[in-house]
Amino acid sequence: MTTRRNLLLGGGLVFGIAALGVGQAALEGSMQGQLVQAPRFEVDPMWPKPLPNHWVFGNVIGIGIDARDHVFIVHRQDALVQGAENGLELKLSECCVPAPPVVEFDPEGNVVGSWGGPGEGYVWPASNHGVGIDNKDNIWIGGNGAGDSHILKFTHDGKFLQQIGIPGKAADSRSTEHFGRVAKISFDTAAGEAFIADGYLNKRVAVLDINTGAVKRFWGAYGNAPSDTTLPAYDPTKPPDRFFRTPVHCAEPTPDGFVYVCDRVNDRIQVFRKDGSFVKEKIIAPLTRGDGSVWDIAFSKDAAQKYLFLADGKNQRVYVMDRQSLDILTTFGDGGRQPGQFFAVHSIATDSKGNIFTTETYEGKRVQKFAYKGMGSVPKNQGTVWPKR
Amino acid sequence: MDQGRNWAVVATVMLSAGVGLGSAALVGAQGQVVQAPKFQVDPLWPKPLPNHWILGSATGVAVDSRDHVYVVNLPTSFNARTEIGAAQNPPTGECCFPAPNILEFDPAGNLVGSWGGPGQGFTWPSSNNGIAIDHRSNVWIGGVSGTDTQILRFSKAGKFVGAFGKMAPPTPSAPAAAAAPDTAYQGVSGAGRGAAAGGRGAAAGRGGRGGAAPAVAANSSSMDAFGGAAAFAFDARTNEAFVADGSRNRRIAVVNMTTGAIKRVWGAYGAKPDDAPLAAYSPDAPPAKQFSTVTCAELSIDGLVYVCDRQNNRIQVFRKNGTFVKEAIIAPQTRGAGSVWDIAFSRDAQQRFLYVADGMNMKVHIVDRQTLEPITSFGDGGRTPGQFFAVAAIATDSKGNIYTTESLEGKRVQKFLYKGMAPVTTKNQGVPRDDGAAR
Repeated sequence: MTTRRNLLLGGGLVFGIAALGVGQAALEGSMQGQLVQAPRFEVDPMWPKPLPNHWVFGNVIGIGIDARDHVFIVHRQDALVQGAENGLELKLSECCVPAPPVVEFDPEGNVVGSWGGPGEGYVWPASNHGVGIDNKDNIWIGGNGAGDSHILKFTHDGKFLQQIGIPGKAADSRSTEHFGRVAKISFDTAAGEAFIADGYLNKRVAVLDINTGAVKRFWGAYGNAPSDTTLPAYDPTKPPDRFFRTPVHCAEPTPDGFVYVCDRVNDRIQVFRKDGSFVKEKIIAPLTRGDGSVWDIAFSKDAAQKYLFLADGKNQRVYVMDRQSLDILTTFGDGGRQPGQFFAVHSIATDSKGNIFTTETYEGKRVQKFAYKGMGSVPKNQGTVWPKR
Repeated sequence: MDQGRNWAVVATVMLSAGVGLGSAALVGAQGQVVQAPKFQVDPLWPKPLPNHWILGSATGVAVDSRDHVYVVNLPTSFNARTEIGAAQNPPTGECCFPAPNILEFDPAGNLVGSWGGPGQGFTWPSSNNGIAIDHRSNVWIGGVSGTDTQILRFSKAGKFVGAFGKMAPPTPSAPAAAAAPDTAYQGVSGAGRGAAAGGRGAAAGRGGRGGAAPAVAANSSSMDAFGGAAAFAFDARTNEAFVADGSRNRRIAVVNMTTGAIKRVWGAYGAKPDDAPLAAYSPDAPPAKQFSTVTCAELSIDGLVYVCDRQNNRIQVFRKNGTFVKEAIIAPQTRGAGSVWDIAFSRDAQQRFLYVADGMNMKVHIVDRQTLEPITSFGDGGRTPGQFFAVAAIATDSKGNIYTTESLEGKRVQKFLYKGMAPVTTKNQGVPRDDGAAR
């Protein structure tokens, strides 16, 4: 009897919240006439150039941009629809084969490098995840498959440099020896530190010495000691969780001393000082369930990094936010397979000219470029941002 | 020096992509330069759908007399967890919702109509497939699931007009090999590793093999029901429809367009259709004596019926009475789902060219209609404009533009602009895009 009443109560609450969400959406719709000043973007439908050799991408699961504005992506070769999408690999047809795991594009969108996969002296991840490019243009790669408790470091053109952490380990968010399915690696080159979004098994941010790979410090949500406790499913009617959920999906340091962390399934950005002390948090699209709304973060390329760009692979859009206030200025994108639309926009990065690049996982399987068009007046929700004909 | 090296790199990339930069025009048997229609993808057609709608596996396309483009897609082809969060209860996100089954676009790519799905007085196919518009402006819809035995007709606005073919009671003892639905064509992702990896552990929301309803047995001799009708062509003069029948049956059925009565049927080479399980295609074996999955039937202006025999990689050509005329094998090394998925004719007065959608090799073949010789092809695998994943259906408009739809996880409709006739310089053009376009 009690159980039944609780269930009913829960259902009523959920329904009420959902109705509230609809109301908010309608309100937003009625405010579409209202314009805001924000950086403006247009998809470049012809970027990148077609891949050579009948290559196709699986889930495109990480992106990084080097000092020359070359775009590196990592994808999952095994994520093709078997027999239908990889006919050339299976010798069934003339198309297609998976591209090598890491592909490098020049700014014009030509493929200028490709590498990756198992080799001597290291364990290639069971499931590729994330690309980070440090100040020496070395490429760091995480992984979120079974046994992926380490980080790999390669030169720009794929020569193995270092394996950080021990593969094959279980979750332990307090370990200084290994990681737990690392989602992404970013860098504070002035301090010589790497920030690890750790991850899909662990629930912490870990900070490494960029040269030795030694774990210097780590923390959980609100800067507390991390916990590996399993949490019940995210519930928008409950108070914010005291812990990170898996995956901790990004950890992005800024030159002014902060770290922006993607607590994906909790639908929130948490901001810390680089020592791990908590500063503030921002909830994004709190009714989002399942995969969550806070997937990846990139910053605008002005000296002050005035804007924060947030990829939301569940609601299929990118938020343009004021980095200081964490206010959402505008959004662009919508669901779909056409240029400028998204299916599970997973990773985001900016180049030196302020252009945005995104990748899509699941069946999105793309990398897209959004050309920076300067500041302008835009509606709160821009939808699909196409160039003018 | 530096520049020279860069060019060498570019040339290598181009060659490996099969673009064949700089190769001379192909020369025909009489020494003449071979010409073919040239196409270029329009990356911004159609306009984005409203209401956070997304397109499912798109299994059919048709163009009406006003050059409106009708697309049929499968609202059951979505991954419930990752793709249509807004349609869950409670919603898991603000995007997306499945688009209605039938979408109508004007020539500029605006969505001007949408309808489809279950309604009063008819049973919507459990896996709608194929769309065609007859001379009375009726829209014909087929169905290729294991239980679909009917053809439905609607007005262009979606008002139900009538159904042809008896609803058949399921026969649980049906032999699986002959009766299994055609998963490749109806837009269901491959089983096992592919579906799991492609959707990353989420196989929800998919139908197909082993689904709830037992399959109906193939019966290519039936004169009152269809076995997975996939496509239609019309002869207004004789009031006959040619039905590609289809995904379980192995025949062409000719139907009285008014009564739905099946007037005659035939199989490969015009022989009596044969529903026996077909051995896996081998390029080394002699051509099969029977049809595989029959996925198109197209009637040319000079009265010939062109049939897509998909897994047999071939086009068979018949007179309207079913007399076999000739056949051509396209991309004979193709296995799996085969190379001949759908056919459209060029819009010149002679219909000089056939356009063959090849969802296994991810391209469109341009074929001389008289000789059935492939002249050139365009397209390649991928998710960017002008690339394909499982290009399943093809149609042309009055201006000669091509429209394609993609099944499985392609889930797109694309437009390829007709750019006039041009010398053929390569057998495989790759992705037909204009990199010099004003952007």
